[in-house]
Amino acid sequence: MAVGTHGESFMEADPPAPRRPSPSGGDGRPGPGRGLDGLAQVANKIRDAVASVIEGKPEVVRLALTVLLAEGHLLIEDVPGVGKTMLAKALARSVDCSVRRVQFTPDLLPSDITGVSAYNQEMREFEFKPGPVFANIVVGDEINRASPKTQSALLECMEERQVTVDGTTYGLERPFMVIATQNPVEMEGTYPLPEAQRDRFTARISMGYPDPAAELEMLDAHGQASPLDRLSPVANAGDVRDLIEVVRAQHVAQSVRQYAIELVTATRGHPELRLGASPRATLHLVRAARAYAALDDRDYVVPDDVQDLAVPVLAHRLLPTAEAQVERRRPEQVVTELVHRLPVPSPRK
Amino acid sequence: MTLMAGLATLAGSAALYPLFESTNWFWTGLGAVASVAAGGLVFRRLRLPAPLGPAGGLGALVVYLTVVYARDYAFLWFVPTPGSVRHLSDLAAEGQDAVGRYAAPVPLVPGIGLLVAAGVGVVATLVDLLAVGLRRAAPAGLPLLAMYSVPAAVRDDGVGWLAFGAGAAGFLALLMADAREHVGGWGRTVDTRRRLDEVPMAGAGAAREEGAARPDAGSLAASGRRIGVGAVAVAVLLPMAIPGVHPRLFDLHGTGGTQTVTTPDPLVSLKRELTRMDDSVVLTYQSDDPAGPDYLRLYALDRFDGDRWTYTALKSSVNDRLSGGDIPAPPGLRIAPRREVVTRVRVRQEVRNMTFLPVPYAPARVSIKGDWRVHPASLMVYSLRDSASGRTYTVRSVRAQPTPADLEAGSGYPYPAEIASRYLGVPRSVPQEVKNLARKVTDGAASAHERAVRLQHWFTQAGQYVYDLSEPAPQHGSDLVDFLLHSKRGYCEQFAAAMALLARIVGIPSRVAMGYTPGTETGQGEWTVRSRDAHAWPELYFEGSGWVRFEPTPSGSAGQGTATTPVYSQPAAPGAGQRPESSAGSSSGPSPREEESETDGAGPRHRQDDEGPQSAPLPPAEEEKRSWAVPWLAGGVLVLALLAVPMVLRVLTRRRRWAVLAVRTAPSAGPAGDTGPAADDRARGPRPSADPAGAAHAAWRELRADALDHGLHWLPSDTPRAAARRLGQLVDLDEEGERALARIARAEELARYSGSLPPAPAERLRADVRTVREAFAASVGRRARWRARLLPPSTMAEARGTLRSAGGRAAELSERLNELPRRMRRR
Repeated sequence: MAVGTHGESFMEADPPAPRRPSPSGGDGRPGPGRGLDGLAQVANKIRDAVASVIEGKPEVVRLALTVLLAEGHLLIEDVPGVGKTMLAKALARSVDCSVRRVQFTPDLLPSDITGVSAYNQEMREFEFKPGPVFANIVVGDEINRASPKTQSALLECMEERQVTVDGTTYGLERPFMVIATQNPVEMEGTYPLPEAQRDRFTARISMGYPDPAAELEMLDAHGQASPLDRLSPVANAGDVRDLIEVVRAQHVAQSVRQYAIELVTATRGHPELRLGASPRATLHLVRAARAYAALDDRDYVVPDDVQDLAVPVLAHRLLPTAEAQVERRRPEQVVTELVHRLPVPSPRK
Repeated sequence: MTLMAGLATLAGSAALYPLFESTNWFWTGLGAVASVAAGGLVFRRLRLPAPLGPAGGLGALVVYLTVVYARDYAFLWFVPTPGSVRHLSDLAAEGQDAVGRYAAPVPLVPGIGLLVAAGVGVVATLVDLLAVGLRRAAPAGLPLLAMYSVPAAVRDDGVGWLAFGAGAAGFLALLMADAREHVGGWGRTVDTRRRLDEVPMAGAGAAREEGAARPDAGSLAASGRRIGVGAVAVAVLLPMAIPGVHPRLFDLHGTGGTQTVTTPDPLVSLKRELTRMDDSVVLTYQSDDPAGPDYLRLYALDRFDGDRWTYTALKSSVNDRLSGGDIPAPPGLRIAPRREVVTRVRVRQEVRNMTFLPVPYAPARVSIKGDWRVHPASLMVYSLRDSASGRTYTVRSVRAQPTPADLEAGSGYPYPAEIASRYLGVPRSVPQEVKNLARKVTDGAASAHERAVRLQHWFTQAGQYVYDLSEPAPQHGSDLVDFLLHSKRGYCEQFAAAMALLARIVGIPSRVAMGYTPGTETGQGEWTVRSRDAHAWPELYFEGSGWVRFEPTPSGSAGQGTATTPVYSQPAAPGAGQRPESSAGSSSGPSPREEESETDGAGPRHRQDDEGPQSAPLPPAEEEKRSWAVPWLAGGVLVLALLAVPMVLRVLTRRRRWAVLAVRTAPSAGPAGDTGPAADDRARGPRPSADPAGAAHAAWRELRADALDHGLHWLPSDTPRAAARRLGQLVDLDEEGERALARIARAEELARYSGSLPPAPAERLRADVRTVREAFAASVGRRARWRARLLPPSTMAEARGTLRSAGGRAAELSERLNELPRRMRRR
């Protein structure tokens, strides 16, 4: 996926929009927080910060950032040791906000996540002790190791951004993002995420192995000290909230929305899929596309955004049929084929 | 499959029916087809290679022919021997002869039967080879078509609709059987209705027939059959809706269709009659005509083929029956005075083969027993099966009695189109001397009537022709020329033929009539006609008077004894005509001498005259030359035009796209032009043109069309930037081209999706498109480049898209039609 890089080369050639000064270069300092240009500033800083830890994975970093700006949650799925947790932590640390990390184990209880009402002897009343979800970024490590009961405790938090304990509802902070990792190889003693849970994650990405050059660089970087330690926050929660507002204002043309709907609808009737993508998936797709476009320094969404995001946003929600499983067809392939087959929206004559 | 091939051949051979008198030929053909099929089948059973299949079929055919036609000469009745082969070839030669002798329909003599069987058998072999051996059912239609075209070519009126339907159904059945076998080999049929647009157009019929193989595709099969039957029905019925095409579908009330009438050559029989020694009585008649009866006409020969006069083949249909009804009014007879004459004719028993009735012109009503018909154009009365011998019949006829003034009056009018087209044709083979002669004779004549009178006078008097029955009948055009220019000896046939020809040359419609002179009066109103009274005379057409008889043959003792010269054909008396200066010459002849007037009137009338005769004969020749060249020219132009269609379409499309833009941007073109450089310099651009989105779309469509034209792929799932990226990889673009491409894509993207940002100015885009097109052209091979110019695939793709959507609509319609019966049943 060379979209990002190409997008930049693309921008070089065209005359700038008269409405705003050239965003390229990045030396101008219009101050963060206001408008797309501010977003680009901040986002670039975060991206650079994360990229300094995660070498050779600009796409992954970009996707993670996209999910953050789209107010979504990220599921990172890959084999051990490729930097899942590192990515989560790097992202969390780049932004100066509250970060909690939960290591999911089979004996983890729901209250361990949401928090618990404890009896305060002095006050003679129950006192709510907030759990780790009360943070801006929650890193859930090996989420599939916890029992379904505990996993579903996350449900309410993720979708409604609130926690209800003993009949009292507590709102969560904004921004709120769950970054969960899971390991697809060691399946023993794990509880695969239920469909409902998976559907709440905006995107699932996998890290993939770094190429040899990146790996070499990584060796050098990790030689002295953990690069994570050197990482200092480049933005704060307020910045991110502003960015999210900018993203929400992104223009999505009617035809692009239609395209997203068509793409999602196509998964529902696909012969190789037992379960298609939900309307929530459409919502997530368009929202992520907005953020993706904003990261590309555009104030409008193009079908390319939708195409690039289709696999990470849709694939983990789909269930292949038994036949497709036998034929080792993965939902990712199905989505890719759909993207290649579906005509992009073009103006009618 | 073998069976179907045989059946198809048989059905196709049904088209041969109009060629034969009896229906036995069908069984002959059936035997041939069956033997070929059997031979092919045996060879296939023996697993011999496919190319040997026809050998088997032909072998079986030879055996069959031997058994049927040369049994007595063959060994064991069926093994061909040299003797039997010789006999067969003799028979074939005989058949060839018979074919040359008879016009269709022919009697089925053994020779013709043999030829038919062999022909049908060969066609069956070819069909068998193509459809069964090579598995190409569709090309098997070609031999069938060849067989079908035989009657269509021989018969002017073509082939009946029933035969056509049978042939078409046979071919369709062959296709169906083939498709069924194909599909059967693949197992379960897939419902193709959803993907009808992927079915190739040409094979659509066959493809739909495929469904017939399986019960689960029953509705498909039904729709296939419906389409097949519908197509054949449309082919039969459609011509009726088209003006100018006259289907004969409903002409036939019961029996037969139209039949062409064949009779022995009338001119041959004329000579025979004239020279008969016994001079027997042919017929007797009573006439109530006070002025003496008119000639009795048998034939009207309207066609001169360069050698002889014949009549156009008669197309007889049941509608032409006399059946007591009135005969159509004689053409052109309007102003001349006329008289009704009743003639009662008794034909002698001894007369043979008289299938045309001798009647005075113009018959209005004929009362006779039997199936007699009238030819509406020439008013000939004839029968297809009855003979007039021994019959008595009554004719009521209208006898026109035009005065010279009537004929003069008619000369001024143009001839009706059907008369001019049919009776004015002069073959190109007529030598120039003859034309010169005609012009010389009629030189100075002011009117058609005068020219006709001069011609008649030339033959009877001035030309010094001699009536001589001993002259042989003219066989070729050269004989006629010889008579006209050199020998000047002949009998009525030569005279009539020559005068009719000369009349045509000088622009008077003419034909040669044949029949009998009035004969000799034997009692009060009783007349007897003998074989020596057989006669030929020209009839010339004058508007208002119709067909008028002339008499170029000398009469009296030195000529045709009983011939008479009509009054109106005699030169005008002084004062009566327009030529007072031409004094009545000798009183011995019926007409005055003309030599004087030839010199007299030459001066002042020369011009006028020249136009008359020259304009008549020359145009046909010129026209023929031109008409020979025109189809070729037109064909060439048409081919070129067809070839140029895609290119022109492409150019037009391009124009249209940019034209929309030009119109829309016109109001803002000024400011854009003024600040153009500024725009290029990426300063704050000018207000963009009125419809920048339109410009961007136009540029994008152009780019897409150009890419397609140069054979570069274009995916429907490509977004503008993806497309630009891919094109950039496919084509070697320089920096400028890359930038242009990016600009176009960027403009399109903005126009499509941003909704707010104004894209680049239209003029810039147009230039960019050109740059990219040149880059495309430079990067592809020469062939692709020329194809892009001459046969741009983008227009083809557009046309294909249109076709496909039309096809989809048709499929939808057929589906709905399919459901119609079900719905009706439910009701």
